[in-house]
Amino acid sequence: MPGAGLFRHLPVPSPRPATVAGVLKLGRREFADTDLLVMAIVNRTRDSFYDRGATWEEGRALERVRQVVAEGADIVDVGGVKAGPGEDVDAAEEVRRTAGFVAAVRAEFPDLVISVDTWRAEVGRAVCDAGADLLNDAWGGYDPVLAEVAVEYDAALVCTHTGGLAPRTPPHRMSYDDVVRSAIDDTVALAERAVSLGVDRRSVLIDPAHDFGKNTWHSLEVTRRLDEMTATGWPVLVSLSNKDFVGETLDLPVGERLAGTLAATAVSAWHGAQVYRVHEVRETRQVLDMVAGIKGTRAPARVVRGLA
Amino acid sequence: MPVTREEARAAAYPRAVIVAAVVSPHPPLLLRELTGRVDVAAGLRATAVSALAGATASAPDVVVVVGGDHTGGAWDPGLPLDVRRFGTTGARPSPGTPTLPLSLAVGRRLLDEAGWSGPTRMHTVARDASAADVDALAGELTRPGERAVLLVLGDGSARRGEKAPGYLDERAFPYDDELAGALARGDADLLEHLDPGLADELMVLGRSAFAVLGAAVRREGATPQARLLHRDDPFGVTYLVALWQLA
Repeated sequence: MPGAGLFRHLPVPSPRPATVAGVLKLGRREFADTDLLVMAIVNRTRDSFYDRGATWEEGRALERVRQVVAEGADIVDVGGVKAGPGEDVDAAEEVRRTAGFVAAVRAEFPDLVISVDTWRAEVGRAVCDAGADLLNDAWGGYDPVLAEVAVEYDAALVCTHTGGLAPRTPPHRMSYDDVVRSAIDDTVALAERAVSLGVDRRSVLIDPAHDFGKNTWHSLEVTRRLDEMTATGWPVLVSLSNKDFVGETLDLPVGERLAGTLAATAVSAWHGAQVYRVHEVRETRQVLDMVAGIKGTRAPARVVRGLA
Repeated sequence: MPVTREEARAAAYPRAVIVAAVVSPHPPLLLRELTGRVDVAAGLRATAVSALAGATASAPDVVVVVGGDHTGGAWDPGLPLDVRRFGTTGARPSPGTPTLPLSLAVGRRLLDEAGWSGPTRMHTVARDASAADVDALAGELTRPGERAVLLVLGDGSARRGEKAPGYLDERAFPYDDELAGALARGDADLLEHLDPGLADELMVLGRSAFAVLGAAVRREGATPQARLLHRDDPFGVTYLVALWQLA
């Protein structure tokens, strides 16, 4: 259970809030800015790079939701379209894959934060109608109307940096004067635009989008300097899980990137990122709890050694 | 008939009365914030706090706290606790600030939790205090005319198992049994004469504090109504909570 209120003797670790808003509001739920949140990936696709269709079938996808909730996920992120190039999925098909599923998850988990990974306003509207709380605009405001959908439904919004790429485009010879500066400028501009349109300031996150419009060097630098992004005061979401920058750094294929992912997770947590979009929930939860213990934002679970 | 000065003083100031004594252990883990998200000592703390609340419900003039430490002496009960030296992420006391030693710090916290905000005096007694030191302190605890509650902080042996702080020493079991028995039946004489050498070997941090309780009760000439309220050793250290009603 988050918060120090339960432990009246526990000191408040930080004199200033980690984010400007101090609270992260995701639909019906509010979180303290010191809470580190796990967002579990649930793909309704046949071809996503990691699970390769494992939860394409709705029953299997619901089973995964049950599992990740049991493992400590705070948020599920439902995706209907593979991030990279692949099978063509139009808006109608994307709605078919996601909206009904969101409704089923909402029915079974009334308090779970449901996110949908989409760049399309039309899809955003359908999933918010079905009970989604958060629109994960992974393609950086490609469809400017998506932010208006967030306003319409009082949904939260993730603003990502893609370096200007169109959806589902892999990076090719991307270069930046300063990739971190670009990520901060673009995501903060998107966040401020969203707020100016009427999205609740407490409901906007920024995401540097590792590997989106970035080569491995860029993603490593974004990780190394993530504190510059958290210093903006916007809550930061990172999506690191099993990505190619981990694979290229360690020269490992998709199935062998967990340790590298968790190392990047720990560094990001140290730098103050708040939300972690992941495949492996249990391991991520442990890393985040451990880093929070080291930072002093979460009391350890049970301390007895030397105190008896 | 001539009246001695002492008789005159006794007539003018009725002698002090110890109305009750509470015995509690003082492990750091009784300080709630130190054990993290799980309160591992909830039952022990609740018992000690409720014994103290019961003892102070009689509205004594003072609570006198006695705890073992490296050296003996009187302490200002208004000094802060230094929980930070044991852990947590809180602020440290500013350098040079005097703070209560562990046994008295735990006593302070228990009193706070029992709702006692009245006059309080605090003493440490050296763990290796001699019989004479013990008796002298016992004689200083109370002042003429006051009704006092004693809070005595001391632990049993810390050598009660292979995972205990002091590993296993089989002699810990009969020693703690004897100590618990004395607390259960109000045996002040046994407490006053616990073997200091064996206590040291068995890591019994409460020996001298228990001896002060024994000596104070002997001086009162009272017969305690004693109850042992708690006894366990979940981490290899014997924890005892007792309540002695003396008047």
